[in-house]
Amino acid sequence: MEPLSFSAVSSALPLSNTTANSKATSVANTQNSFASFLKESINNVNQAQNESDVLTNKLARGENVDLSQVMIASQKASITMQTTLEIRNKAVEAYQEIMRMSV
Amino acid sequence: MKLFSNTITTLENAINYSNQKQKVIAQNIANVDTPNYKAKTVTFKDSLSSAMNANVTNNKHIPFSATNNASTAVVTKNGVTYNNSGNSVDMEKEMTDLATNQIYYNALIDRISGKFSSLENVIRGGK
Amino acid sequence: MTIFNSINTTASALTAQRLRMDVISSNMANVDTTRGRLVNGEWEPYKRKQVVFQEQEGSFASHLNTARGNTSNQAGGVKVSRIVEDETPFEMVYDPENPEADETGYVRMPNVDPLREMVDLMSASRSYEANVTVLNASKSMLMKTLEIGK
Repeated sequence: MEPLSFSAVSSALPLSNTTANSKATSVANTQNSFASFLKESINNVNQAQNESDVLTNKLARGENVDLSQVMIASQKASITMQTTLEIRNKAVEAYQEIMRMSV
Repeated sequence: MKLFSNTITTLENAINYSNQKQKVIAQNIANVDTPNYKAKTVTFKDSLSSAMNANVTNNKHIPFSATNNASTAVVTKNGVTYNNSGNSVDMEKEMTDLATNQIYYNALIDRISGKFSSLENVIRGGK
Repeated sequence: MTIFNSINTTASALTAQRLRMDVISSNMANVDTTRGRLVNGEWEPYKRKQVVFQEQEGSFASHLNTARGNTSNQAGGVKVSRIVEDETPFEMVYDPENPEADETGYVRMPNVDPLREMVDLMSASRSYEANVTVLNASKSMLMKTLEIGK
């Protein structure tokens, strides 16, 4: 029985450590992108809440506004706020999950 | 991150149009006996439809999007008949427009409310 | 320029039509009044009154808003600009027995035509009802809007 030669196979599928490197950079990238993602979320919430506040003030002062605009803006603000809250919850959960891992 | 789809924006524009139309119909019916009053109507300029996309050849071109820029304008109705006091309000047309607009508005509010609640449901994860 | 724009417009129309009906009822009540007013020491019969409608321009606040660039329509509406007296000549009725008769036996009666007043009244009433329908429609639309997201 002649020994199996793996040269053909190895040339077809070159095993290099590029995948390990790319994983390392992509982790850093993921961290960055998640941080910016979270920041963008919070900015969105701020903007939506501000818009809703402006329209509500206009409504209260009897200025030029449509009731439907006020209601829709307040709904959007509420949904944006809920989204960001859930993102934060999931992030905290993930962190706690990791901390619970016994090393 | 775009939370609110184009449908919601379209619904918003339609609701604004319907609001404006309601005001104009109220004004027309209020002025049915005013001499020389010309009936008004609302035009809906949806200058960008979702099927139309700009061919952005230069990076300085402003890309179209199917989101905003739908504007409404209040104009005088054309092609109507006047009665002998110069008034051009057709009472029957205005009343039917009123009924139609009310149903249209209710349908829009229902739809946008449904979209918002399903969004909330999804975000809450079905809890 | 508030959310109650169309309701204010309709309210102005209801007021105007109500005033028109009041004028019509005044005309109908005075259809036989030979002594309406003292003019130069002589009694003159009642003169028929009419309302003149005019489109209500927006208030100063709404003009200011438009000048500041806040688009959207003016709060239109209707108002009674004046109540005018009808100058058609008085009706002459031959009635020599009447204490009001002049030398030729004719009595001057008010220029009120009851039939015309009735038609006017029906028209005013129809407009009033139409405006009430508009008011109900606007109100139900606003109430429905409050239910977004409930």
